[in-house]
Amino acid sequence: MALLEVSHLKKIYTTRLGGAKIQALKDVSFSVEAGEYVAIMGESGSGKTTLLNILAALDKPTVGEVLLEGRSIVALKEREISSFRRDNLGFVFQDFNLLDNFSVQDNIFLPLVLAGKSYEEMVKRITPLAHRLGIADILNKYPYEISGGQKQRTAAARALITAPRLLLADEPTGALDSRASEELLSLFADINREGQTILMVTHSIAAASHAGRVLFIKDGQVFHQLYRASLGREEMYQRISDTLTTIATGSGRRQA
Amino acid sequence: MRRFFYFRLALQNIRNNKKTYIPYILTVIGTVLMYYSFQCMADNPGIQDLRGGTVVAMIMGLGTFVIALFAVIFLFYTNSFLIKQRKKEFALFNILGMEKRHLGRILLWETLIVAAVGIAVGFGGGVLLTKLMYLFLLRLMDFPVQLGFYISFSALKSAVILFGLIFLFTWLNALRQIHLASPVQLLQQQKAGEQEPKTKLLMAILGVLCLGTGYYISITTESPITALTLFFAAVILVIIGTYLLFTAGSIAWLKFLRGRKRYYYKTRHFISVSGMLYRMKQNAVGLANICILSTMVLVMLSTTVALYAGSENMIHSRYPRELMVYANMVTESQADTYEEAVNQYLAENGLSAQNVISYREMYGAMVREGSNLRGPVGAQDMMVSAEAHFIRIDDFRQMTAGTLPEALKADQVFLLYRGNDIPGDTLGVSGLTFQIAGRMTFDEAGIDPAALTDSYNVADVYVILAADTGVLSQIETAVDQEIGVEDSIFYNCDPALDQLRYVYGFDLGDEAQVKAVQEQMSLLLTETGIPQGGIENRYDNTASYYEMNGGLLFLGVFLALLFVMAAVLIMYYKQISEGYDDRERYQIMQKVGLSRQEVRASIRSQVLSVFYLPLITAVIHVAFAFPIIVRLIALFNLNDVGLFLMTTVITVLVFAVLYAMVYAMTAKVYYRIVSE
Repeated sequence: MALLEVSHLKKIYTTRLGGAKIQALKDVSFSVEAGEYVAIMGESGSGKTTLLNILAALDKPTVGEVLLEGRSIVALKEREISSFRRDNLGFVFQDFNLLDNFSVQDNIFLPLVLAGKSYEEMVKRITPLAHRLGIADILNKYPYEISGGQKQRTAAARALITAPRLLLADEPTGALDSRASEELLSLFADINREGQTILMVTHSIAAASHAGRVLFIKDGQVFHQLYRASLGREEMYQRISDTLTTIATGSGRRQA
Repeated sequence: MRRFFYFRLALQNIRNNKKTYIPYILTVIGTVLMYYSFQCMADNPGIQDLRGGTVVAMIMGLGTFVIALFAVIFLFYTNSFLIKQRKKEFALFNILGMEKRHLGRILLWETLIVAAVGIAVGFGGGVLLTKLMYLFLLRLMDFPVQLGFYISFSALKSAVILFGLIFLFTWLNALRQIHLASPVQLLQQQKAGEQEPKTKLLMAILGVLCLGTGYYISITTESPITALTLFFAAVILVIIGTYLLFTAGSIAWLKFLRGRKRYYYKTRHFISVSGMLYRMKQNAVGLANICILSTMVLVMLSTTVALYAGSENMIHSRYPRELMVYANMVTESQADTYEEAVNQYLAENGLSAQNVISYREMYGAMVREGSNLRGPVGAQDMMVSAEAHFIRIDDFRQMTAGTLPEALKADQVFLLYRGNDIPGDTLGVSGLTFQIAGRMTFDEAGIDPAALTDSYNVADVYVILAADTGVLSQIETAVDQEIGVEDSIFYNCDPALDQLRYVYGFDLGDEAQVKAVQEQMSLLLTETGIPQGGIENRYDNTASYYEMNGGLLFLGVFLALLFVMAAVLIMYYKQISEGYDDRERYQIMQKVGLSRQEVRASIRSQVLSVFYLPLITAVIHVAFAFPIIVRLIALFNLNDVGLFLMTTVITVLVFAVLYAMVYAMTAKVYYRIVSE
């Protein structure tokens, strides 16, 4: 059984004024196996963010089903959603979403605190993780005192400390310089090799070229997908680039 | 036009920041409104006509000072919080090529706009509010209040001056903050939490000292007149102590909570404790403000309600019996003849005198030093005076239920006292020495203190029973020699001729008859040959007592409403401004897995860990203020501590319920903002 199964997702927004309907997702289906590293690419407005919000249980689809380990996310009750999210999912956001009133350590502890874990347990988990991510020295600093790369590694630590089934990343390199981006991406690749399933939304080719599989979304549908198989990073980069060109120049199979 | 440009930019800035500026402007309006309303009441010419007008005027003066202090601290802090919030925006202007002096000019315009709106609307609101409250209370209380309604331009003038200075101050502070930082620093500072004050330990020590001294003054002051002069100092000390201790104490407390890992790392404490530490100084000042306002509400209400409810008690103190005769220079035979005549008249009319008071005395205010009493010299001695009543022992037997000695020798006295005892076995009076043959307190002797003239305004009252008039005469001579005959405190008697001050009173138990009996008694006084005498009946002045105490109650309720409003405003401002500030944080936390129930639980945790702190502290303040207020209300002839205790307890309970309700309401607003 696949870890994540997405079938026939459709999402229609109604604008607040005038009641016009906007279709964000038309018909999206795919699945992710445990241990996979999947990147989702698409232009702005292609429906990436809507898709991610639905996967994160932050939003509900109009039609369709999302199963995580066979359990429906869509059918979750309001009161189950929060605990489901913190027990099963880890998030890394483009703008870090760290809290200024917490130190780096407390930011990382946040999901464990929410899950009601004991302090001893939290300390046990953070020590190896902080060393692994190279943030052991800055645990007592505050977010406004550290660099962008350090912030994103802190956010990654916060996402990973719960040992989530699935790590969801939304443009994780969007606010980072190229060096910090590269560091974060190789970190993602490392933890993926250790078995962590990752689903990353991005429009950076460099970021996507680290993934094992790339899904292309256009106009609310999965347009194409690429498997890395035995390709090297450079070849993968080239293939992604070509695919994007094909989509952009409009010679694709489907029209909106 | 350049100037117009800055003005428009300033207006635009306020509009863009309306989420923080609207609560701020409302706060300014509320503070101006409160200051104006209070000042307007303090200036009211009717105040001086109230019972104890000078005391009330002094307390109002104190109140104006407290409110001014409060306005300075509160507005200064809300403003610096606001400026901190906007540092990113200033940095942006700076980066876009605007110099810091231009920023200063925009800020000046913003300050002027806020000041103009705040003072104008606050003044208008104040006029409206005083009028409305006036009408409302008038209707509610159902008695004529002497305090008239009027629009006070002098109050407006002092409000303009005070708030003008405050705004100048806030503007300079904003300039300082901008000038000190580079754009990059400005960009980052918005996100940084408030820094812990450097002098925390010093603050804590100073705070404890101020509070301790204030409390000490309240507990140890015995004379009501001294209490009046020291009350002011005690209040200021307690206010300063409260600010210092809340700042130092709340930060230490929060850090302690953060240090307790098992407590801190629980969802609800985690969020609330870190949030409060993030803006610790603002948090502390807000809490201290609420505490001080709550204390003022409690003191105002409990005191004035007690005074009003104690009207009967005061009337009884002032008129211990329905009919009271006070006369000077009365001999024993005159007194006997007079009482016989009165009793005969009463009997003829089918009436009888009940609860009779009758004694002749030589009395005056004296100074006690150890075991000695001496005559007062100069004004400073009036402040520490004790009341001395010298009475022939046989004249006082029917006044007490206690057992008095059969007879006294010429060098012996028997002592009855209220307040401080005379130490040792001898009593010195202006150089004379007497053996104290025995002593009792008023309670032990079953004496109604009201039956003794003027006995409420001083801490110590002594009834000194002597063998005969000869001893009284000796004492008079000794005291007069000491202070000079022309300053004699015993001007209303001449014991050498057996002429003493005469006090005679009784109840009839029949109000309708009192007037007629009074007229007859007045005639009898002349017939008996007692020229310097007067008769008072209790009922003539009952209405005026209620009226005057009603005036005080009106004032108390008016001010309490004003302070409650201010406290509600602060709670509201605190919740709103923090709500907008915390909103983003709560959204992030919800993404990480915080549920709505947990949001509620964390707000509740905040309530439990600090929000009741001001209320609890206010109650402690009130408890410590209790002794000095008991002395102060003694100046109003109210001596019923039990009644005052009851009104205080009831006021505290009602206020606590109100406090909880207001908090619940503002917490709901906060919840709505963060969970939107």
